Amino acid sequence: MLREMTKTPFYVLLHPFQGFWDLKYENKGKLRVALGILLLLTIATILLRQYAGFVVNFNYPYDLNSIYELQVIVLPFFLWCVANWSLTTLMDGEGKFREIVMTTGYALLPLVLMRFGNILISNVITLRESAFYYMIDSLSVLWFVWLLFIGTMTVHQYTVLKTLVTMLLTLFVMGIIIFLVLLFFSLLQQMIGFVLSIYTEISFRT
Amino acid sequence: MKFIQSMGITAIVLASLSLFASPLQAEAAPYEGYNYSYWGAAVNVPNAYVPAGIVDGSMLAIGKFKDPTDMYVAADGLLYVLDAGNRRIVVFDEQWEVVREIRGFVRDGKQEQFTSPQGLFVTKNNHIYVADTENRRVVELTGEGAFVREIGAPRSEVIGPNFQYYPLKVAVDNAGRIFVIGRGVFDGIIEMDADGSFTGFMGTNRVKFNAWDYFWKRLSTKEQRSKLAQFIPLEFNNLDMDSEGFIYSTTAELTSKDPIKRLNPSGEDVMRRKGYFNPMGDIYSGAASQSSLLIDVKVGENGVYSALDSRKGRIFTYDQDGNLMYIFGRMGEQEGTFRTPVAVERRGDQFLVLDRDMDQITRFKPTRYGTLVNEANDLLVSGKYDEAEGLWRELLRLDANNEIAYAGIGKGLLRQGEYKQALEYLKFGYDREYYSKAFGKYRKEFVRENFGLGMTTVIVFGVGLWSFKILRRRTRGKVKSNVT
Repeated sequence: MLREMTKTPFYVLLHPFQGFWDLKYENKGKLRVALGILLLLTIATILLRQYAGFVVNFNYPYDLNSIYELQVIVLPFFLWCVANWSLTTLMDGEGKFREIVMTTGYALLPLVLMRFGNILISNVITLRESAFYYMIDSLSVLWFVWLLFIGTMTVHQYTVLKTLVTMLLTLFVMGIIIFLVLLFFSLLQQMIGFVLSIYTEISFRT
Repeated sequence: MKFIQSMGITAIVLASLSLFASPLQAEAAPYEGYNYSYWGAAVNVPNAYVPAGIVDGSMLAIGKFKDPTDMYVAADGLLYVLDAGNRRIVVFDEQWEVVREIRGFVRDGKQEQFTSPQGLFVTKNNHIYVADTENRRVVELTGEGAFVREIGAPRSEVIGPNFQYYPLKVAVDNAGRIFVIGRGVFDGIIEMDADGSFTGFMGTNRVKFNAWDYFWKRLSTKEQRSKLAQFIPLEFNNLDMDSEGFIYSTTAELTSKDPIKRLNPSGEDVMRRKGYFNPMGDIYSGAASQSSLLIDVKVGENGVYSALDSRKGRIFTYDQDGNLMYIFGRMGEQEGTFRTPVAVERRGDQFLVLDRDMDQITRFKPTRYGTLVNEANDLLVSGKYDEAEGLWRELLRLDANNEIAYAGIGKGLLRQGEYKQALEYLKFGYDREYYSKAFGKYRKEFVRENFGLGMTTVIVFGVGLWSFKILRRRTRGKVKSNVT
């Protein structure tokens, strides 16, 4: 069981086409694993911010905030999933929400591995070799985008072009969702403020 | 009544106690010393310079200064003050005795005077160059004040017919080339050869505009465009010549990242900006109102230079790499503060600041802290890292947060081969370049020392793993064979 759980993500890493297929049609994917990878990514990022070697670490220690890391990793993750799901249900996508979360989670694995690797590497390199650090960093992002692309394509059974369009549109929808949420909160705030001011006014009159 | 009396006595006692309890300052100054940490925070440090007296001419037989505009310390230590309001140049020696007073000069048998001169420069052989602004000329005098020549407006095809020549500041290099900053001349510094004929503009400031402005300008009609602010580069406002013939210039531009430039003879900016921040006075975040407005620059020995901020009345001193060494001065009415500072000069380890509104020169002398910073930097420049290290350590006792001192010690330790310790100090000093150097050396040393042990471990582990695999395969094989 545990062996299966750890083996699949690595298989997906190297054989994305077959891997994501198995995820969807062979029930090899586990939601737990996907969320676990997300958790690991958060931990890796927090650790990288704190423990990356001095030559590549430009963070102001007092500015480091783990809650903030959650905000920039976990929030966009679910935002992506929700936006992607809402979009693909309208665009004849075959993926269920569960599958979308799973795909996105599994695609994050290269980021996790390379960030952990970078923590180790950055502590034994000099300024001249720091190019490797940045190379690994950008490589991991490229790999992640590649996996996400294949994953989206497989889960929704899309063509290449349609996948690309969907992914770009998903980013757009993410923006819309953020806008709506902010709008909602500001309206809510005003409503509460209105009710409160009426309450105070009435309470002063009596 | 008694109650009030006892209260009063208590108050007096408390006040006198607090007088003794207050942190004793060795030398008083009307400002608080500060410097910028690596992270851009202004942190308190001991004062590096404190006021040591005022010279305004009234104590001397020459009468009070009136609207002095510039001053210059010559190579032999004489101080030349351009007392524009009194149309004279006053020369002081190092004991602040008046050596001579130059009230105009005789030219072709006629007495001539300066009209609101703004700039002054003294060459190595003690010739005085005066930017006689309203007379639109630069005048060269001997050290005694005898007329040598007059250098008029530059003439060339590249200069338009409605060019107005008002020289503000002047400098002369060792080869006799003359550099003039003119009012409203944004083409750069006017460069003339030793004969005074125009050779070109040098070191033009770049035009700065953002994409948004450009976009609007493209959309607007010709009439609208003429009413918009033009994209013109800012003019230089002061210059100084270092011993190698490089020009240090300042530009009065708010929010500029490089208001101080070091121009090589072909006019390129070759300033070293290796400090935590660019040499630009106060580090401001966002608001332009916090940025400094630099109006004068003075190069000292070893490439150390100081810039004068006319807004806050502060003097910023940088070392040859662009590290901020110390800051002192402020606006005010007290001794050691300024109303309209216009020029800064350095004589030995003293600073002199000329104030045009208060008509006086304020002298500043280094404190123990300032002396240590100066000496440590001098030793560092001359390559005496070990001796400098001792001074840096003493400096840390006065200011335990001095990052430059940590970096200095780190560099010393690196030279002595104490790599591991050097790493620690260089990290405190945020010097990534030298940290990286020390780390490379340390890593090499570490690998060399531990190669045997490491290699043995790897081999033993490898062999162990291999034999374990073989063993397991054999036992498994047996199990299988038993089953079948």
